[in-house]
Amino acid sequence: MESVQIQQASKKDFDVVGKKVVRAGAVLAVLGKPSYTADIATGDLVYVKAVRSSCVHATIESIDTSRAKLLPGVLAILTSKDIPGVNDAGSILSDRPLLAEKVVRHYGEAVAIVVAETHQAAEEAAMLMDIAYTPLPSVTNPNDALKPDAPLVQERSNLVKHMKIRKGDVERGFSQSDLVVENTFKTEFVDGLPLETEAAYSYLEPSGRIACVCSMQNPFDVYGKVVKILGFEKAKLRMIQATTGGGFGPKSDETPIDVAAYACLATLKTGKPALAQFTRDEAMIIQCKRHPFIIKNRTGVTNDGRLLAWQSELIADTGAYVSKGHLVLGRAVFHCTGPYEVPNVKADGYCVLTNNTIAGSTRGFGSPQVHFAAEVQMDLIAERLEMDPVVFRAKNILRPGTRTLTNQRIEDPGLDMCFRKAVALSDWYHKRKQYEQHNKGTSRLKKGIGIALLYHGNTLGPESGDFATVHIAITPDGKALVETGLTDFGTGGMTSLLMVAAEVLGLPYEDVRMSRPDTGRVSDSGPTVASRVTVIGGRATFEAAEIIKNRLSRVAAERLACSESSLIFRAGNVYSNDKPERRITFRDLVVEAADRNVELKSVGYYLAPTTNWDEETGQGSPYNQYTFGAVVADVEVDTETGFIRVGQLTPVYDAGKVINPLGLLAVCEGGSIMGTGYGIMEKIVTSEGVIMNPNLHTYWIPTILDCPEIINSSTVESAGQIGIFGAKSIGEIPIVLPAAAIANAISWATGVKIREIPMTPDKILAAIMNVK
Amino acid sequence: MRKYSFTLNNEPVVVKAPPAYTLLEVLRNVLNLTGTKDGCGKGECGACTVLINGKAVNACLMIMEQVEGSDVTTIEGLATDPLGSVVVRAFEKEGAIQCGYCTPGMIVSSTAFLSRNSKPNIEETKEFLRGNLCRCTGYSKIVKAVIEASRG
Repeated sequence: MESVQIQQASKKDFDVVGKKVVRAGAVLAVLGKPSYTADIATGDLVYVKAVRSSCVHATIESIDTSRAKLLPGVLAILTSKDIPGVNDAGSILSDRPLLAEKVVRHYGEAVAIVVAETHQAAEEAAMLMDIAYTPLPSVTNPNDALKPDAPLVQERSNLVKHMKIRKGDVERGFSQSDLVVENTFKTEFVDGLPLETEAAYSYLEPSGRIACVCSMQNPFDVYGKVVKILGFEKAKLRMIQATTGGGFGPKSDETPIDVAAYACLATLKTGKPALAQFTRDEAMIIQCKRHPFIIKNRTGVTNDGRLLAWQSELIADTGAYVSKGHLVLGRAVFHCTGPYEVPNVKADGYCVLTNNTIAGSTRGFGSPQVHFAAEVQMDLIAERLEMDPVVFRAKNILRPGTRTLTNQRIEDPGLDMCFRKAVALSDWYHKRKQYEQHNKGTSRLKKGIGIALLYHGNTLGPESGDFATVHIAITPDGKALVETGLTDFGTGGMTSLLMVAAEVLGLPYEDVRMSRPDTGRVSDSGPTVASRVTVIGGRATFEAAEIIKNRLSRVAAERLACSESSLIFRAGNVYSNDKPERRITFRDLVVEAADRNVELKSVGYYLAPTTNWDEETGQGSPYNQYTFGAVVADVEVDTETGFIRVGQLTPVYDAGKVINPLGLLAVCEGGSIMGTGYGIMEKIVTSEGVIMNPNLHTYWIPTILDCPEIINSSTVESAGQIGIFGAKSIGEIPIVLPAAAIANAISWATGVKIREIPMTPDKILAAIMNVK
Repeated sequence: MRKYSFTLNNEPVVVKAPPAYTLLEVLRNVLNLTGTKDGCGKGECGACTVLINGKAVNACLMIMEQVEGSDVTTIEGLATDPLGSVVVRAFEKEGAIQCGYCTPGMIVSSTAFLSRNSKPNIEETKEFLRGNLCRCTGYSKIVKAVIEASRG
């Protein structure tokens, strides 16, 4: 029923939704006044610096603060003993202390914090701390960590979670197959790397409440943890999201809790405003990374290209604390075959503790790793079958009526639409011929074209309660104020919510505005993760706007002497559809409603349907709807240097009803580049658990020169079942496919087999030598 | 503490700062000009780009000794500069902004570039902006904005 209603809604004409809305004043808002956390921090500030472990795994024998304390300007040094409340900074599981107690479990773990009058004094004092450690045996390879005699990272098994898929009979599937292909794929730790590092600024309000301004995605998660760390009653803390310089996952995870707690503890101790901000190297060591995966894919097919059986083993290294590793593993396992119908599937995923850097939420959340492995596997099979990868995929993709690896029935044709459009836009068949000719005539610069497809379960699904809360208040000037704890950190999600509010209330976009997310003003809105702001937050915004519209309708119907059902709210006016000359401006209507004491504040709440699947078999429907996508990559490989130039990316996504087209395009372009970096450049290098490249000159992210010359993004619209007006998720998704599409293009151009990312020139060159 | 004199956004200034202070620290912590962003402190990201004698430089790499007597322009100063405001408008029009953290540095670099090359092509634009990192946009709108600004 619900999906029918939404689909009808998506067919109606929109005034604001789906139109190109420029975020007017966006640049001036950033330039005009201080808005990021460290810009806002003023007053008689104190600075907080963490003292971090130089060991990977060790017991703390003693902490001697005497030299550090003597340094001029040092006001306080706090260790775990000085935490007034609970020493717990884990985001979901309470496995990570804010400050280590007896043991440190990874390089850079915080042991103490220094509070000082200047940043320099805090940094110097941190270096003067004498901490005696006794090293413990450590384990930094997840395969080793699973062995029975492995050192334990925590006081529990190193195996955090084992996730299973059991569909059909995989052995029978293999025995009926004409060809079985097996490959092992490997991905690395990478850093989401928001350009602004984690920062928090706290101060005492006259009431005695502590206010904390923070760079983060989830004000309520940070608030919930910090209030416990401080041992406060709930009303004594307020958490405000500052303008946030990028999120990409790390800012939804545990490091914002750390900086907020550091600052608040300093304010509590000294009574002064405090600023805690990570340096770049600190951020790159501490903030959660994308999980490295080792993925074994074994696939059985018939000679005519039908997938019969798929077996995956996935090992995810979550580092020394779980963070969201168990949930990342879940999303990975639920997508491990790629977007194909396979009758027999067996998958086993393992989330493993090691003494490595913590891996947690990073844009895509397990999906980029498994799609890389599945989509390269598909090309390796196509090659063995001597079949064009497009033809092979077309025989197996998820179409309406097919079933996923969890046996969930797919209802919409989004994948087929994306696939066809990407093949057409990229001129696939023509390019294959053209590049084949080109490659025959050249020995050095080889050209290739490759494709990859995805599906991506929308919003939280199995990961948490998928709800959102949005408040709307109509101000006396006839404008709407939208308030929520959902956040924007460059994603454009808030623009989408404002567009939904404007659409329902019949207001021009300019008449709807937003306040800064503040836990003191709004109720828990759920986290800003899982690409869910537009889809889920949009529904809550719709509810809130409808409540107000209904109240205003009663007043308007009386005033205009018409029925409520005949009323149209449009472009700042309200009129009767039957007699359009009977009209009133929205603003005058608001004045009249206020005179009659009509409540013009509302709270919209939306909770997505609970999703269900079986723990033992993984069978069921883990997500309410799926986004689909296809990416084609055109590359040039310099076979003498191993250098890859990505000439063109052609991403096509089915994001359902597009609410904010300019925002969607921006996210597609940015994600495409981030995905390109994931494929060919980025790797956090570790040596026995120590991060060797925590800086931007040895950890390379794409510069303007690394971008594909053309990113030809486009969309198709196949309505989602639950999203507002049929919208589907997009925020994280454009990062997922570039790596696989580029790998497939390189393989086709050169004959090398790629099973690991990043595809750096040294690896490509070695592989080319191998082929020769 | 030491005294340093220089011109900042067309006004002479004298500041007191510890000798090891960088221009970035003086701008943000002493003068409270927070438009210039701190992204890495090591000259790797370009978020702190300012103009010194018309040239784009990373403020985090300039110790105050080197700044003495120079002509410094920050993003705050560019807002009232004729070319700077054309660049700001072009970034606005093209939507060349997402989280905004790289934006001040991008606009300062772009202005320095356009002041020397009024009819740039895409390759020249990219070459000049190679030191300014952006993690959100994928850069293509930034290139478009610079080309747009060059057309006035």
